[in-house]
Amino acid sequence: MNRLAKLLPFLILLAYPMVVSAHGVSDSDQEILNNGGLLAYILVGAKHMVTGYDHLLFLAGVIFYLSGFKDIVRFITVFTIGHSITLIGATYLGIKADEHLIDAVIALSVLYKGFENLKGFEKYFKTQSPNLLFMVFIFGLIHGFGLSTRLQSFAIGTESFLAKIVCFNIGVELGQIAALIPIVFLITRWQKLKSYQAFYKAANVYLIIAGVALFVYQMWGYFNGGH
Amino acid sequence: MKKLFPLAAAFIALLLCSSHDMYLKLDSFFLQPDSKASILLYNGTFAASENVIDRDRMLDVSIVANGQRNRIDTTNWREDDNVTILDVTTGEPGTYVVGVSTKARTIEMEAEAFNNYLAHDGVQDMLTNRTDNDKLTQDANELYSKHVKAIYQVGDNKTSDWKIKLGYPIEFIPRANPYNLKVGGVLPVQLLLDGKPLANQIVTIDSDGGSHAHGHDHEHADGEEHEHDSEDGHTHDGGTQVRTDANGNFTVNIANDGQWYLRTIHMVEVEDEELTHESNWATLTFEVAHGHDHADGDHAHDGDAHTHADGTTHSHEGDDHHHEEGGLPGYVWWLGSLVLVAILFVYFKRQQA
Repeated sequence: MNRLAKLLPFLILLAYPMVVSAHGVSDSDQEILNNGGLLAYILVGAKHMVTGYDHLLFLAGVIFYLSGFKDIVRFITVFTIGHSITLIGATYLGIKADEHLIDAVIALSVLYKGFENLKGFEKYFKTQSPNLLFMVFIFGLIHGFGLSTRLQSFAIGTESFLAKIVCFNIGVELGQIAALIPIVFLITRWQKLKSYQAFYKAANVYLIIAGVALFVYQMWGYFNGGH
Repeated sequence: MKKLFPLAAAFIALLLCSSHDMYLKLDSFFLQPDSKASILLYNGTFAASENVIDRDRMLDVSIVANGQRNRIDTTNWREDDNVTILDVTTGEPGTYVVGVSTKARTIEMEAEAFNNYLAHDGVQDMLTNRTDNDKLTQDANELYSKHVKAIYQVGDNKTSDWKIKLGYPIEFIPRANPYNLKVGGVLPVQLLLDGKPLANQIVTIDSDGGSHAHGHDHEHADGEEHEHDSEDGHTHDGGTQVRTDANGNFTVNIANDGQWYLRTIHMVEVEDEELTHESNWATLTFEVAHGHDHADGDHAHDGDAHTHADGTTHSHEGDDHHHEEGGLPGYVWWLGSLVLVAILFVYFKRQQA
């Protein structure tokens, strides 16, 4: 029983990602947006965040680095401010980038976080890593731009334009909270176990591998996507 | 002879009350970049063009792509049968707009023919006006001009040119990119008259792929198709009629794949020695087709041929759309990730021990 209790966090970790799929925003979301009013924008925003593995991996990487609840709130607030600025601003102004390219940069943010958490800057560059709060803000801006580009790929019309953007952003925040709860729970619980160091290394090496894989995947899509 | 007379009168009335709607069409509204295509200008019904358009009637011919409006020399048009054709070569991927605006012409109509035309071509408001003001027996001399647009998609990149205002006297402006639409979706559209929202205007919406595409094209002995009205009073092209709201807005419910067209005739009475009425006609065409609505995804069509609602077929060899739901399924990604984390975990745990 004791053994099972120890395994429980890992089993939850195993099960959790299976219920989410990669960036579940799809054609069906366009229908939801067409017919669901402002509430639909909240729903689609939340769905995009909860099912967007690149955003979640980056946030998981950030939380790995943090120790206290206050820290977590501080960093997540900065990330939220960052992505809200570009999500609302870029969408309102109609600024967007190629989806593959922006997703490739977001992939690099995942790689960056894993590398930093493993003290890659100290080991390989013999220097301290850049201020994390500042970097989280910068990456927040980049993630927000990615979210904006995705939102702009929908036909959202011009009626209540700002309200729709804000609602999508609110959805993103709600989705972020929903996704963070199990992530924070797992990581903080695991921190008390002996196996945490192994888990820490495994998870951050995985972030590096996932960052590289997502980057290659997006660049492949960019060069072979008929652009 | 007595029996033949009503039939002959009905036939003449049908011919007189027929009007020629103008549409810009393509065989397929989905084109490849840097490829040749023909833009067809129909004057008749959406199904068949009954006559060509003289070049000197064309006030403006514009193609808008990637933020640039190119005015096309009217001498570039050619004719084939009753269709006026503009051969173009597409450029960079994007959502393109083509527009044609024609000079005003006049047409004289006897009262009955004019009333029939008003009744069956979406100009019921003017008919009501004539009825209310006891003008049903007055003949008409109408000044009319036509302003038509089509939106088509080149490659996969959706650009924002669909929202361009060409500045025509009357113009449909979509409020969303039609190429993000799929069946079940809704396209919001605004109707402008002289650049301002036109309220309470009747707009007819139809497609060639839905229940309204009911094959009312009649071929006569002279080989020409023409438009007329059936006894139940609906127009030849059928369709759904809606009214614009106070801001000129209305919505198009996309019930089926196919080529969709919107049309309206805005008519006013004029005080003029020769003219009695002035009308501005507008149409907008675009296509909704399965497998082409990939605003947010990746979809590979290598060597994959599609048949469209209008029967046209084209292939997508090498046309690899961005579609998140394509490629690696999410659960495969996550499952693989978990296996990888587990392997790494075991590895580091052993190293730790």
